[in-house]
Amino acid sequence: MLQNRKKRLQNFFIVLFLSALGISLILFSLNSKLDLFYSPSEMLSAEIKLGYRIKLGGMVKAGSIKYEGTKVSFIVTDFQTEVPVFFDGITPDLFKEDSGVVALGYYSAGSFIAEEIFAKHDENYMPPELMSEDKINGR
Amino acid sequence: MVGEIAHFLSIASALTLTLVLIFNIFFSFSDSHSNQLILSCKLFNHACFLIFLSFGLYIYLAVTDDFSISYIANHSNSQLPIFYKITAIWSAHEGSMFLWIVFLTLWSILFVNSLSSKHPLKKGTMLMLTFIILGFLLFLLITSNPFERILPFGALEGADINPVLQDPALAIHPPLLYLGYVGFVISFSFITAYLFYGDLHYPWEQDIKDWSFVAWIFLTIGITLGSWWAYYELGWGGYWFWDPVENVALMPWLAATAFMHSLFASSKSNILKTWTLFLGIMIFVLSLFGAFIVRSGIIDSVHSFANDPQRGLYLLGFSGLITLISLGIFAYRLPGMQSSKLIVTGSKESFLSMNNILMLTAIFSIFLGVTYPLILESFNGVKVSIGPPYYNTIFSPLILLTSIFIMISVEALWQRGMQVRTLFFAVAPTFLLSTLSLFLIWYFVQIFSLLAYVGIYSGLLIIISYFLKAASNLKNNSYLNKGSFVAHVGLGLLFFSVSMNSILSYQKNVNLFLGDQLFINESVSEFTFLDLQNIKAPNHEIVLAKISILHDGKPIYLNPEKRKYFARGQITSETAIHATPLKDTYLTIGDQLENGSWTFSLQINYFVKWIWFSSALMVAGILMTIFKKKIL
Repeated sequence: MLQNRKKRLQNFFIVLFLSALGISLILFSLNSKLDLFYSPSEMLSAEIKLGYRIKLGGMVKAGSIKYEGTKVSFIVTDFQTEVPVFFDGITPDLFKEDSGVVALGYYSAGSFIAEEIFAKHDENYMPPELMSEDKINGR
Repeated sequence: MVGEIAHFLSIASALTLTLVLIFNIFFSFSDSHSNQLILSCKLFNHACFLIFLSFGLYIYLAVTDDFSISYIANHSNSQLPIFYKITAIWSAHEGSMFLWIVFLTLWSILFVNSLSSKHPLKKGTMLMLTFIILGFLLFLLITSNPFERILPFGALEGADINPVLQDPALAIHPPLLYLGYVGFVISFSFITAYLFYGDLHYPWEQDIKDWSFVAWIFLTIGITLGSWWAYYELGWGGYWFWDPVENVALMPWLAATAFMHSLFASSKSNILKTWTLFLGIMIFVLSLFGAFIVRSGIIDSVHSFANDPQRGLYLLGFSGLITLISLGIFAYRLPGMQSSKLIVTGSKESFLSMNNILMLTAIFSIFLGVTYPLILESFNGVKVSIGPPYYNTIFSPLILLTSIFIMISVEALWQRGMQVRTLFFAVAPTFLLSTLSLFLIWYFVQIFSLLAYVGIYSGLLIIISYFLKAASNLKNNSYLNKGSFVAHVGLGLLFFSVSMNSILSYQKNVNLFLGDQLFINESVSEFTFLDLQNIKAPNHEIVLAKISILHDGKPIYLNPEKRKYFARGQITSETAIHATPLKDTYLTIGDQLENGSWTFSLQINYFVKWIWFSSALMVAGILMTIFKKKIL
């Protein structure tokens, strides 16, 4: 009986140890694989490490889209701060002036080098983060 | 008028279902009064038919362009072909919820009527199903009424369906996916009925085995179709984006896969009983969680419907209630379910349970990936997103472990341990051949990526072990489980082709004028912009580019399009794909620049066809398992 109990306790600790290991591995992976989301103002005020991938969300400023070969540059704004964004590739169909955009990439010396550009299915889309900030600003 | 009749029929159905519940809960006679059961079943059937009738009328409304119905006016258009007028019904929240309920009803009525009236679990199953249908029907009628009129005057013209949804694959993707999602309501209700009933020796597995398999097939086809659609329609060249809504479909799929496996073990050797019951409950709970994520607007995704807190609250409350009831009764019965047998180390079921645990780990990791940004934002106010890198890192060790266990279990026997000698002789050739193949691949490809190679190796382990087993069984003329063979080879092929795709595929963006020719690389030596045409279609206009490509010495003609839809002013791209067994040449047209030149994005995607094929193999394997019993 005692032997049985000892074995059960042992099993319990093995399971506990393994699940703790698993969960900590998952959490560790989570933290290194997160993409933090910034608005232009937040991005400039935050200290972002070089080579740290982030997401930048805002509105594409009217008249700022410039094409050169396959390269595209435009300005993302949150109506307070503006950040120039550089991207090499085909922009999505819903990418246009005066509409919401999310760019995934790297911050470097005042500008943003995008690896991917997202524009959502809905043509009236605006990043929800920006919408809530609009509400705060009473816009 | 027809709209009001359809609306009234749904309400009548909800009332009938309420009647069934009240009749059975408050006026429960003893079990010998089977008249009560017969009457309840009749009422239940009538309620189901009322829903079907109501949906039939709704299809009629959509086809006849009744734009006084607000939902139809917002999502359909008189210029649409009839096929898309019907599919427009499930292009947004209200209508797709209606379809969800219709399928829920369909599965329920089929299952309840397949049970004989003497079946001890018939009453409980029917009541649980009644409760679930009623809950969702009320959700539809209260928070998202598809019958709402625009008063006093209807719209003259509809606002049109979202153009990216005007596509045959997408038209049938939601129905198949819903059929899969909802199909697990059968195993869920049956299991809760079994737990309420209390006779724990009842062999419940046999009655729902085939139903769960069929639901799994629908879920698999639904997910694959969605992925296929995303690949050729969105023009990003990807087939899986680890989008929250894709993830919430993958969770029930993993749970269902684990459930199917442990159902085998449970019915074969009477072990893993509690575990199987738990999984059966979890599949439907995860489906409900998915419905909540998609329909509450809590997560921002390409799939999510408009934001409405009331809907989210109702769904959360109702799903929570169902979860609480089912897990509550499960916990109540748990002490009485001690299974007498222990799992023998090294037996087939021991490896099967290991993989069950791994699948649960995968579900948990996805769940964390979906909810972590929400948790972090509500506590810290930090906005984050979790993308493919997280899932790739988590999944590759899980996939490797799973594959190793699958490989060993191929040679293992039910309820019997395995000797180290047998293990060695069974596993060594597979290890050797897989490692050799991996080196060959590395030699030819000359690209290294740890995650991708883990995936390739996992795929090879599964495929090679099953082929070796099949070969030896054929030689000895012994029995081979063909369904399992086909399905597992499909899984191995999936791991293999997904990983190969990730290392071999590449993308090139080009910019050129009409008539220009470019050199891209040794493989794509000529890229010629032949012609540009403007074409008018009934509800959109098309800019069509004609491109010829000299790919590996063979000329290919590709015609990518850009479409502008009149009703919404929305622009979409139609990808041109030239497919060979090994790779797809995938071309999308970009924008015209100020100087008149055009941009194109050329992608060479390897092994994409194989991904769809492997999913077809898995479905085929399960189909063989279902029909094997019928034939023999």
